Amino acid sequence: MKSAFEKRRERIGLLTVVLTGLFGLAAVRIVGLVVFDGPRLDSLARSEHTERLELGAVRGPIVDANGEPLALSALTQSVYARPRLLAASMTRHARARLAAALGLSEAQLGARLRTRSPFVFLARHVESAHARAALALGLNGIGAVSEYKRFYPEGNLAAGVVGMAGMDGQGLSGTELQYDRLIRGAPVALDLDHDALGRPIVDNPLDLRQSVPGDRIELTIDDRIQALAESALADEIQKSGAAGGSVIAVDPFSGAILALANLNARSDSVHSRLHDAAIQDAYEPGSTMKALLVSIALADGAIGAGEKIYCENGRYVVGRRTIHDDGRHGWLDLGGIIEVSSNIGAAKIALRLGAERYYRGLRAFGIGEPTGIDLPGAAAGLLRPPGTWREIDLATHGFGQGIAVTPLQLAMAYAAIANGGLLMRPYLVRAIYDASGRPVLIRSPQIRRRVVTPEVAHQVAMLLRGVVEGSDGTGRLARVDGFAVAGKTGTAQMVNPVTRSYFQNRLVASFIGFLPASDPRLLILVVLRNVGHGHFGGLVAAPVFSTVASGAIRALGIVAPQETPSYETASFVPFDGLKSLFSSKADANTDEATPAPATAAAPGITPDFRGLSLRRALLLARSRALVVKVRGSGFVRAQEPPAGASARDSSVSLTLGAPPAVKGSGARRTERRLASNRAAVGRRRLLQ
Amino acid sequence: MAGIDRRVAAHFDWMLVALALALSAVGVLSVMSASYAGDKELMGPLVEHQILWVGIGTVLMFAVAMADYRTLSTYAYPLYLLTVVLLVAAAIIGHSAGGSRRWINLGAIKLEPSELAKIAIVLVLARHMRGEVPRGGWRLHQMIVPVLLLAIPVGLVLKQPDLGTALVLILVTATLVFVGGINWRIATAVALVALLAAPFGWHFLKPYQRERLVSFLNPHADPLGTGYHIIQSEIAIGAGGPWGKGLLQGTQARLNFLPEQTTDFIFSVYAEEFGFAGSLVLLGLYSAIVARGAWVARHARDRFGSLLAAGVVAILFWEASINIGMASGILPVVGIPLPMVSYGGSSLIAMMAGVGLLIGVSSRRHVF
Repeated sequence: MKSAFEKRRERIGLLTVVLTGLFGLAAVRIVGLVVFDGPRLDSLARSEHTERLELGAVRGPIVDANGEPLALSALTQSVYARPRLLAASMTRHARARLAAALGLSEAQLGARLRTRSPFVFLARHVESAHARAALALGLNGIGAVSEYKRFYPEGNLAAGVVGMAGMDGQGLSGTELQYDRLIRGAPVALDLDHDALGRPIVDNPLDLRQSVPGDRIELTIDDRIQALAESALADEIQKSGAAGGSVIAVDPFSGAILALANLNARSDSVHSRLHDAAIQDAYEPGSTMKALLVSIALADGAIGAGEKIYCENGRYVVGRRTIHDDGRHGWLDLGGIIEVSSNIGAAKIALRLGAERYYRGLRAFGIGEPTGIDLPGAAAGLLRPPGTWREIDLATHGFGQGIAVTPLQLAMAYAAIANGGLLMRPYLVRAIYDASGRPVLIRSPQIRRRVVTPEVAHQVAMLLRGVVEGSDGTGRLARVDGFAVAGKTGTAQMVNPVTRSYFQNRLVASFIGFLPASDPRLLILVVLRNVGHGHFGGLVAAPVFSTVASGAIRALGIVAPQETPSYETASFVPFDGLKSLFSSKADANTDEATPAPATAAAPGITPDFRGLSLRRALLLARSRALVVKVRGSGFVRAQEPPAGASARDSSVSLTLGAPPAVKGSGARRTERRLASNRAAVGRRRLLQ
Repeated sequence: MAGIDRRVAAHFDWMLVALALALSAVGVLSVMSASYAGDKELMGPLVEHQILWVGIGTVLMFAVAMADYRTLSTYAYPLYLLTVVLLVAAAIIGHSAGGSRRWINLGAIKLEPSELAKIAIVLVLARHMRGEVPRGGWRLHQMIVPVLLLAIPVGLVLKQPDLGTALVLILVTATLVFVGGINWRIATAVALVALLAAPFGWHFLKPYQRERLVSFLNPHADPLGTGYHIIQSEIAIGAGGPWGKGLLQGTQARLNFLPEQTTDFIFSVYAEEFGFAGSLVLLGLYSAIVARGAWVARHARDRFGSLLAAGVVAILFWEASINIGMASGILPVVGIPLPMVSYGGSSLIAMMAGVGLLIGVSSRRHVF
């Protein structure tokens, strides 16, 4: 028997062993925390005591083909609060004064401060005076930081193309969204340490110095053509009562888009930045489809170039439906069918071609597939597979019913006819440069595929000249002085999405054409949506084409080819071969068009500045050694002394204003129109 | 106390002194880290207090070590009585903080009598059980007095309320009774009954104590509420990694994410800055002082000294293991300081005095 002493020692030893085991358990647990959960717990620790705040770099500018800025960023102040820090020092009185300094109501201020976040913006992009007033209150927990704000110096010009950037400098639509990654630059990231109560520990000075500025985007858009397109479109929308419209001007050889305008009779500027109807909305092209049909039929051999088709004197029954023409026509050749826009003739050609071949031809022209333009949200239109077409569908598809295209799709299909049969990929950005001026991207034209042979393309182009130049042509109002124009009108009924039938008195009127017809440099599509009955494409859209084309050829310095046809002899101008088509393609790609300022006034006479952008006005003034005083921004609206007056004191003062908008004053639009007309006169005088 | 015994000086247990001072040093560093706010000077008022208390505690440790512990047995009951009076006083005129009334305000300092109670109960139980153990060990009826001696301070401490200290008192008493020679079968039966009765203890817990138990089982049920302590503590320990972030480099304590970071959760502060390696060092220090204490208990020349040593070791061990277990999430949250490390004068000085007792017993193991 062991003694009690021995027993006690035993028990102590036993206890020591057992209890030291408990320490071992703790050690094992700590190993577990460190080894297995360590990374997770470490990141938890990091995330709970740091807050990342990203402040945007300066967004790169978006400029047009001439370097005119369409989107810029400017430094503004943003006032922030650290709510928990502020709560300690803020009295009722201070709250009222802070709200007043920031131009907020006390309720708004209170709502912004009610947050768990250790950092909250109270007012973004305010003038520095406001920010200074807020800081002058000396409240603990109020600060200001410099931030860039996006603004659009040309107002709504090319709004749909340029798009929109949000409060934090993030692209939301258009080019701003498409090239956001490049425009955005590299933002500054701030890691703010804060304690468990949200009090910042390391009060980093907030500055933007380490950020990398965004890239500069150069658009193919020419602001002069764009402004002209928008003002002409606005006028026509007002005159015709259309709900809206689009104009696309494109270089048919390269696919570079020179103007892309969308206007709605009723819509705000934000909507016009978010929605680009010319690439996002499909419509029934109507008769403009006939040129594609004829191209496909000629390429296919389904119809001969000199063949005549009987047009049934205006009534033609297919299945249980009757197809009508506007006039009673007998035998018509292809030129006649296009010129008078015979539906019956088109239907018969389509029926002869057959669904499968017509469908394949349309697909080749890019109908039913996105154009590949560098803008977000482009639609593919609607082209049902040929297996689902009934006979009547095939017949009506022949004149553009039951098929939906976006304006851009149609423009590119016509560009293929204009350029000798190549479907080009349209593009809006011609170059991108980084902040130090190094090129990031230089775009070269991209051919999607050959659609028809140059011969067929030229044949169809010749047919399209008759539409404008022929005495019975539906597009006579599209004529441009001194130039041969090829084109096609279109008038289609709008589809009622509710009843899935056509509106009787809602039309889409359009005109698409290119010039000079024998050596196309410019293709323009005009679409007017929801015009009332009687507003045919030839009546409402063709004049817009004429206006825009007249201005654009001056802006681009396009010279009429030697032939200078008279309207009476236009259809007999001989086929001038592929050589000229392809030699001019090279010219178009180099984009050599550097415009001379549109002036013809003699030295000593004050030139006409009205309608010019500031940059161009300054160029003009410099060429005349005139001293310029400028007020306002945008385009020149008024000048003193007036144009034509003798420049006595060799100085001129210019008043600038917003570029034309739909709701702009009529007087300003007229003024711009007059300015371009005057320029036209001057240009012609130079040519003579 | 008149004159220092030559044999005491010859066998003076410097190892225990070194361990106690090492632990105190860890404490001062940890308090410095826990109270460091990043921009202020290193020596906050808390660090100064802690250093002062380490000084006072060291003096007291040597004084207690020098005194013959056998003469202390005569003061055991008066000391116990004084502690009970102070506990009653704390309950009546005490200063309350954090919903608990456990301090007596003495002007410059606040005394926490429940910390003294731990040493007092060890003394009084060692005094009570110093007699020879009957053959077969103590019977149940012989346990009545120890249980009564325990029940009075435990009741007063629970009243404050301070579950942690009550738990330590109970565990220390149980340890002493076991070491003191209770009958094996009775010990087993009592342990079984205690285990079976534990679920019924639920009814005696306060709502916040129940929440702690629930959140121990699932801290993520309420991560910002009752589970917050455990989660934040685990984050700090895990974030420390194997080698730690370095002195004053810990973020969780400095940014006040850790609760009670100078007292109950000081281990997490230490673990974040010194890592797993540092935690092992600290556990090693505790193991060493516990092992040395247990060795002293085994080699004490008399039962009183042995029980005294066992009691002090029990306090050190239970507090250290429960505190670290709680901080690392293997035990529910209960307010127990990390002995010799946590901020707090009463606890530190009482523990230093306790180590003084250990040294005294150790140094006199050859003195008959």
